[in-house]
Amino acid sequence: MAGLTPIAITGLGVLSGAGMNLPESMETLFRNERHPHPPFRFSTDHPVSYPVLELREEFKLPLDAGETVYARTSQLALVAALEALTDAGWNVESLRDKRVGVCVGTTVGCALNCDEFYRAYKDEEQPDMKIIERFLRSNPAAVIARQLKLDGPTQTVVNACSSGTDAIGIGASWLRAGVCDIVIAGGADELARVTYAGFSSLMITDPDPCKPFDAERKGLNLGEGAGLLVLESAKVREEKKTRGTLLGYGSASDAHHLTAPHPDGTGLKQALAVAFVAADVTPEQITFINAHGTGTPDNDRVESRVMNDVLPGVPFVSTKGYTGHTLGAAGGIEAAFTVACLQRQEIPASIGFSTADPELLTTPVQENCSVFGDVALSESLAFGGNNAVLIFGRGES
Amino acid sequence: MKMAIQGIGLTAGFGSGIEALRSALQSGRAASVTGNGEQSAFRADVSGLAEFIPKRALRRIDHFSKMTLLGACLALKDADLLDADRSRTGVVIASGYGALKTTFNFLDSYLDFGYSCSSPTHFSNSVHNAAAAHVSIQLKTTAPSLTVTQFEMSVPSALLSAQQWLAEGRVDQVLFGAVDESCDVLTYCREQFFGSGEQGPLQPLTFAEQSAVAGEGAVFFVLNRETDTAPYGFIDGVRMGNYLVRPTILPEGDQLIVGADGHKECGRWYQQLLKGRKVAAYSPLYGSFPAAVGFDLAVAAVSQCDGKLYASPAANGSPAALPTQKLGGEQLSCLKLGPGGDYGLIRLST
Repeated sequence: MAGLTPIAITGLGVLSGAGMNLPESMETLFRNERHPHPPFRFSTDHPVSYPVLELREEFKLPLDAGETVYARTSQLALVAALEALTDAGWNVESLRDKRVGVCVGTTVGCALNCDEFYRAYKDEEQPDMKIIERFLRSNPAAVIARQLKLDGPTQTVVNACSSGTDAIGIGASWLRAGVCDIVIAGGADELARVTYAGFSSLMITDPDPCKPFDAERKGLNLGEGAGLLVLESAKVREEKKTRGTLLGYGSASDAHHLTAPHPDGTGLKQALAVAFVAADVTPEQITFINAHGTGTPDNDRVESRVMNDVLPGVPFVSTKGYTGHTLGAAGGIEAAFTVACLQRQEIPASIGFSTADPELLTTPVQENCSVFGDVALSESLAFGGNNAVLIFGRGES
Repeated sequence: MKMAIQGIGLTAGFGSGIEALRSALQSGRAASVTGNGEQSAFRADVSGLAEFIPKRALRRIDHFSKMTLLGACLALKDADLLDADRSRTGVVIASGYGALKTTFNFLDSYLDFGYSCSSPTHFSNSVHNAAAAHVSIQLKTTAPSLTVTQFEMSVPSALLSAQQWLAEGRVDQVLFGAVDESCDVLTYCREQFFGSGEQGPLQPLTFAEQSAVAGEGAVFFVLNRETDTAPYGFIDGVRMGNYLVRPTILPEGDQLIVGADGHKECGRWYQQLLKGRKVAAYSPLYGSFPAAVGFDLAVAAVSQCDGKLYASPAANGSPAALPTQKLGGEQLSCLKLGPGGDYGLIRLST
């Protein structure tokens, strides 16, 4: 594989536990604040109340969705997509004569895990089919495309926690192939009782605010949100200034274990190698890394080892302390943060980190700090052994 | 960029392997509707997996992933690549619903015994990319892996990405699969939506009637960039869009295989778009499920290989059905329609 054509990023949209839009989220990051709390939106009988990072406010869909009700994941995706489009200078009507693709990563957004429906089904209570109808009309990529009346390819990527990162890399490939003119790409996921129960069962959830890369880390905090980017072909973009450039994307599989990363990080190393070739840049050019940094013992150990081997000395941050682990949305949100940080030439402190782990050879940044350079990297590791990496160039605006 | 089809592996209600599909096509018989208790559905038998994967390795692998693994192994065998190095083989899987049974098994674990008894095994296997992970672990494919869930559009959408991976040189070949499974909850939902009585026969070209019968199965293709050798021909391209936003033009000279599968509502969309054009449909051989588009694609590939378009099963003299015919220079295309005007068109050539 040779170097690939860079793709312009013209708009960013984020909805997260750190803020209801990108500027608000960035402010929270650079104020080094976080607001984890027990889940408000659902309850369980689990003996431990694990903190989560939910959206701080309710939101309203800015579009008239009529009587149509979408699942929360799709609503999050739609709100972030509209923010990104506005940021890119597009109104919905102006997209009518364009071929616009939508590529969104998720986990909860595609799982038929409607536990209230299923409980009623098990109890032979003739459950209300409206829950299933809502699920069937809530495929995140399809919702954005239909609600905005777009004509182009749609894809909902379900690669677990690397979904959002993969979706952006795939969306870029559509533009390079001329399949469409514009792509709305990223990730979205809602907090759900099912994932809360699932991650608790795997014993990788921290009962306190998470501590990525810290010696005392015990696991992740779940979060929710969406992060969407607007990618544009050169033909459509014309003279418009960019937020950033997607220089490269790489992905690879560990082929090792369903839930644990390969101890040597072989898949992540391979994904990095592919991304560097695609971007035609070297590790020495990387200004900073937005690490996956979930706060689980395994993830942080492997990721730290790989960063030390491949990108020694490059400053890195995990933003999951601010947003929680938003699963399929994480790659989208963190891509937007990476692009925005590259623009302002500054990265926030990796919140939650205080004590270096003697087993890890790297430590994240502990204070907000300036960075000087034009290239940054965001990486995601996922269940199933998926590893995905995006390399971004600094924008003009 | 064209994708060469080097091998096909599949398992569904008609049996397992390419010869089982060919036999079903030749006989023109719809597979028998087999039941499990009250359910009616085309079921896939995964016992053939023992030929490829040790039983011990399959202990914690669910039915969905077993179908996936069987389809993948059969495709590699068909392409004579079972023993090949797969470090540059990508895995792309399309599924409308993912591993439904395991999803509900996980819910059972906490609904029955409390949240602190949630099953980590069921949870990790219910994640949509678990099947792709099992493929990569068992078959040692270390290149990129992708799982797509786009309901009816899952197959064309995922195929588009497989094509870009090959075009960008990210992989040398792709194990491309389409998988869905049936389960009791799905049967219940179908009964609520469509009424009971999914006993067949499934008559996809009788567009105005509800005749769908749930099915399940896995179909895999070994795809690469070869330009000379392609036993089943080539996939020329994939087009997706929304014909209500911008009218789509169907390729005039092509023989169309449509993804109509006995749903009255969907039948109406095909009727509107096809405007009386004769087409072929093969869902009576495998049943109705979102990933069945992958089986339509397999039928198209086998038809190219055999140089003939097989008769649509259960067509019952429908004026919409293309007759059995030798294929001359014309191309085959697979068309799938979804709600709200979504369409996916996969075009093949020899």
